[in-house]
Amino acid sequence: MNRQKQFFRNTLIFLLLTLAVNAVLNAVYDRTMIYHRLNRNQDRQFEEYNDTLTFLMLGNSHDMINPAITGNSFNYASPGEVYTQTYYKLKYILEKTGKTPEYAVLSVDPANFSPKAENTLKFDGYWRKYVDYPALARETGDFDYYIKWFTGRFCAYIGNYKFIYMSVLFRDADFTQVKNGYRPPRDYRNFAEEPDRNALGLERATSYLAGYGNKPDKGPETYFRKILSLCRDYGITPVLVRMPLTDEYLMHARKLVDLDNLDRQIEEIAGEVSGNYILLDFREALSGRPELFFNADHVNPRGADIVSEKFRARMQAHINP
Amino acid sequence: MLFNSIGYLIFLPLTVAAYYALPGKWRWILLLAASYLFYAMWKVEYVLLLMAATAVSYYAALGMEAHTVKKRKKPWLWAALTVNLGMLFIFKYLGFFTGLISGLSDLTGLPGQIPYYAILLPVGISFYTFQTLGYVIDVYRGVTKPEKHAGIFALYVTFFPQLVAGPIERARNLMPQFRQEHAFDPAAFASGLRLILWGLFKKIVIADRIAMLVQPVYGQPEYFHGIQIAIALPLLIIQVYADFSGYTDIAIGSARLMGFRLSRNFNRPFSARSVADFWNRWHITLTTWLRDYVYFSLPSRFRGKTAAWRLNLNLIITFTLVGFWHGAQWNFLIFGLTHGIYMALANISKPMMEKFNRFSGLAAAPALLKALNQASTFLLVSATGFFFGQHSFSSTLTLIGNITDFSNTGIALKQMLQNNDFTLSLILIVFMLRFEALAGRPGWKEHFMQRPLPVRFAAYLAVLFFLLIFGIFTRQEFFYFQF
Repeated sequence: MNRQKQFFRNTLIFLLLTLAVNAVLNAVYDRTMIYHRLNRNQDRQFEEYNDTLTFLMLGNSHDMINPAITGNSFNYASPGEVYTQTYYKLKYILEKTGKTPEYAVLSVDPANFSPKAENTLKFDGYWRKYVDYPALARETGDFDYYIKWFTGRFCAYIGNYKFIYMSVLFRDADFTQVKNGYRPPRDYRNFAEEPDRNALGLERATSYLAGYGNKPDKGPETYFRKILSLCRDYGITPVLVRMPLTDEYLMHARKLVDLDNLDRQIEEIAGEVSGNYILLDFREALSGRPELFFNADHVNPRGADIVSEKFRARMQAHINP
Repeated sequence: MLFNSIGYLIFLPLTVAAYYALPGKWRWILLLAASYLFYAMWKVEYVLLLMAATAVSYYAALGMEAHTVKKRKKPWLWAALTVNLGMLFIFKYLGFFTGLISGLSDLTGLPGQIPYYAILLPVGISFYTFQTLGYVIDVYRGVTKPEKHAGIFALYVTFFPQLVAGPIERARNLMPQFRQEHAFDPAAFASGLRLILWGLFKKIVIADRIAMLVQPVYGQPEYFHGIQIAIALPLLIIQVYADFSGYTDIAIGSARLMGFRLSRNFNRPFSARSVADFWNRWHITLTTWLRDYVYFSLPSRFRGKTAAWRLNLNLIITFTLVGFWHGAQWNFLIFGLTHGIYMALANISKPMMEKFNRFSGLAAAPALLKALNQASTFLLVSATGFFFGQHSFSSTLTLIGNITDFSNTGIALKQMLQNNDFTLSLILIVFMLRFEALAGRPGWKEHFMQRPLPVRFAAYLAVLFFLLIFGIFTRQEFFYFQF
């Protein structure tokens, strides 16, 4: 009997210790995780943004359009963001902040519609501010969203060793470079100098696009439609952008996905939901210029500025025809 | 239901709590219901299959008991073998053989085109079929008495910790335990928890991390060459070990929480000094099953004497079956066949190797000889990694073709070393093997348990939080679920 009592006492102590360590780790992770800090800094900048909001860039690290070049803009794209998150963020902006852009800029690359896209829904510790996880669970019938909410709230560090490592590396990150939400893209490597660009193109294309069918995945498509509906309801014109990709990435992407067919289907959806969308195709705008890329599918600051110039020129034609 | 899922995290404590809350005589009902629920969570229709295998084996054993003469028992044995192996054949091997017949028909131009059948493989069918077959054969041989209690027998077939991927239990080990009333034993309970934690660590932190590195090579072999394949082969074998032994640890640990003791399935296979020794340490319950029910049943005598060539042939046949048990694919057949040939060759060359060891002086340096034997065994086993897995045979041929191309070695190595998961995997593999070697030493566990409580708690917390931080939480299925 004594052994049992001792066992239960020890178990209780161990559980309490586990909870305490978990609480400390969660709090430290929540405060110091580099992407949490980055995203919350962006949130603060958006709260403080009081200029005319012509363009609101949404999406992920591919949406590198520089507001300093386009003018009257805020780049609210965040790392790893998927359409589901973008939808809830836009909804929050429109319903809670009273700021309504004239144009919502959104990238429409194959990776956005990949079956793998929704699986990468991450940084729940930050996103629980915007995303309605129970609603997502009900809509999709996927119980995992409750788990995501729970882990995001109570143990956001779970499985996130890479972000812990990055947070240590970038513990002294300089956020003063971030202007109007825009963080200049990474530039510590240059794709042109990579010894095996083909292998890197394959690796990136495979990691995003393997297992693709011939059409957009249902999950991303649903929230893409919702974003467009939201834009329509608030009188916002969606600007759909095909962002530049390297030749190596595109070569492998074309083997994995019927890009022309996918593009056509995305346009059909956009036409169905929102009659007045604008489509800008920069996918091959930097073809043959690997020096403008950080890796196979991300432009570097020079590449981003060239795309931003092109964006400004093209939109100028729309705004002042 | 996967062991590495939230569902199991809820299911297991509830079942264990209910188990101890119930009086002994009702516990089998709880465990049986829980086991069927556990299986039904995967695919409810296939519970019927499980029930059919149970019913056939149960009645066949009772039928055999009614007769004392072996000849009279035989029809019951054959009935059980036919139904159980028939189900296994239909669900696991029919697709392979229909494909084979159609392929041959294409090749020869002879009529024989039949529709290709590929039915979703019921999870664990290879395991529970072998368990029921073992029981029926044991009853036939008189090794085990038939179980009269249908519920206890059903529980023997379905006991959830070992239902879907073993260990393949013998009736004489597991069945009597269902009749024992297990009082709550803190030491056994804590030991079960430790095993579960270690099993999860191996699965989530090590196996699933290595899988991220290995899967692309097997998935798209045309893009990988030389060093990349040469590294992927041993990594695959280690991944399977971490995955399957991790699963087994969770299974044994889960059973131990309720006082049950399941059979050991692994015994540090990478310390094996020969391929035969490797199989004495790897998936032990399968190899001993095949040894007892297949290998020993094959004829070993020729012209009145035990013939070495027959024994070697039997080895090759048995291990080809080991391969085929894993999956109805050419890859697995060749995998098993290769292991059988390895062992037969080792037997044939044994006198020659002994002479060589004496001549070269290796026999006088046992530590060096042991290390060389361990390394060569590991290399031989790793080489069969070409054939282990669900990838197509054409992918295997591509891998074999590409491994000779070492032109991109420098770049490939650089890229691998830049990958943190690769470096971390190597560190974790060393840690896993070292830890298991240490834990396997006599007295080590007792020594650890005598450490002060804070030291032990610190160790458990370190493993637990390392698992939480470095784990891959995408709920990858266990490798052996596909068998």
